[in-house]
Amino acid sequence: MIRSILPHKHTLHKLLLVTFFAGASTFSHAEEISSAQVKLIAGTCANCHGTDGKLAGAIPAIAGRPSTVLEAQLLAYKQGLQPNTTVMDRIAKGFSDAELSALADYFANINKD
Amino acid sequence: MSDQKNTFSSSRRQLLKGLGLVSIFPAISACAATGTSKASAGRVVVIGGGFGGATAAKYIKRGNPAIDVTLVEPNKTFYTCPFSNLVLAGERQLDSIGHNYDELQQVYGVKVVHALAQDIDPVAKRVSLSDGQTLQYDKLLLSPGIDMRWNAIEGYDEAAAELAPHAWKAGPQTLILRQQLEAMEDGDTFIMSVPGNPFRCPPGPYERASLVAHYLKQHKPRSKILILDGKDNFSKQGLFTAGWQAHYGDMIEWVSLSNDGRVVRVDAARKEVETEFGTRHQGAALNIIPPQKAGFIADRAGVTDQSGWVPVNPVTFESTQVKDIYVVGDATVAAPMPKSGFAANAQGKVAASAIVASFAGITPLDPVWANTCYSLINPDYGISVADVYRVQDNQIISVEGAGGLSAADASDNIRRSEAAYAVGWYNAISQDTWGTKL
Repeated sequence: MIRSILPHKHTLHKLLLVTFFAGASTFSHAEEISSAQVKLIAGTCANCHGTDGKLAGAIPAIAGRPSTVLEAQLLAYKQGLQPNTTVMDRIAKGFSDAELSALADYFANINKD
Repeated sequence: MSDQKNTFSSSRRQLLKGLGLVSIFPAISACAATGTSKASAGRVVVIGGGFGGATAAKYIKRGNPAIDVTLVEPNKTFYTCPFSNLVLAGERQLDSIGHNYDELQQVYGVKVVHALAQDIDPVAKRVSLSDGQTLQYDKLLLSPGIDMRWNAIEGYDEAAAELAPHAWKAGPQTLILRQQLEAMEDGDTFIMSVPGNPFRCPPGPYERASLVAHYLKQHKPRSKILILDGKDNFSKQGLFTAGWQAHYGDMIEWVSLSNDGRVVRVDAARKEVETEFGTRHQGAALNIIPPQKAGFIADRAGVTDQSGWVPVNPVTFESTQVKDIYVVGDATVAAPMPKSGFAANAQGKVAASAIVASFAGITPLDPVWANTCYSLINPDYGISVADVYRVQDNQIISVEGAGGLSAADASDNIRRSEAAYAVGWYNAISQDTWGTKL
């Protein structure tokens, strides 16, 4: 019977739950920061890097760049290890390492086109 | 609400929202909302199409396209205060700082109504517009900007502003002041009156003095700039003062509050001002930046307090006085965040997220804001102040150890980079807010 093939509504919800949690855990190294939270934090980047970090100009685009590169760069800014920095050192210090890591993943996963 | 009719899509959306994931999968909630009907997830009216309002409208739609968003803004083109000082200096045309609402409508599905919001009934949740329309809302977002406190300085009213422009809202006012600068003879004085705190764009008057000096140095090198100030210190003061010294010698004179800098009377026709202790100054060009308050529609909504500004819940930017009215930008009391376009954009995103969460019945996220204010000493010499803000004990705080000023001893290369980044920032925030870029 069709009824027995279709999962019960609650089971469907559980399946969705598992799917989304799995998605979330590959999405971010920092499991304690929700994807929605990372997206909100990423809004602070768009003021200078364009919506979704895609605008290239005097300030570089950050969308679609490798996560490891972005994370290393952000941590270097935060630790004051990046020479000739103008403002990113001052901004990176306002975020935890876990947030910077999650931001790196977030922008790496955006298609730059 | 209408989406309750569609129980499956509604419950599915609730599930996703419960996971805090709905906003990263807007397409899913869009399908859920449009699968069987054009059901709306809620009605938002946004008043004011500047940095705060346009950003909020766009980011509500990004968060949940099923929310019906109407943006009310009288002007078809919005001219930004940022970079209007370059127009004054003759380095840019006014058109280059104008932005329209095409992308908000065509890409994000925001309805844009070009009319003036005249009144708000917060009980009936209704907005009356100058074109006779009324708009019904579930949530209202105000980004009303500033109004001038006319007559706070004796003799300075709307008519006087045609003769001695404030140019603190960009557009026609910018052009009047530009014409006065162009009409100056070599050796004439340009006078600026600057208010006490709080006011829109704390470093703005000093960048204006810098870029006017850049213009005068090239075309009227014997001219002077006199800044009469209603306070004893100002944003990025050390960096400005050093930059002025290096580039303009003694062309710019700054008179502090304690040295009788506060202007109390204006004779706009004579381009003359009088300060607190009776000193009179006359110039060939006169720029009066008067004391300010939240835009009038905030008063009509009942969200302003005795200060004339709008107190808000720092987590959501909802008014502390009227439920379901959110307020962002210069009109709010959000110190230590400055009244800047950058801050308004950042607040617009946080309020948008809180509105999307509220319709979904979930707790708002922990907000975080950044702000970077670039100022140009000249088109190749930039300085900045940056900060990151969060909420602690229900107060907005500047994150300790983060932010601060450009280095006092920065090299010419760094100053040049910051000037280039100022342009990069302008293009990016314009793209993020209106979708327009230069």
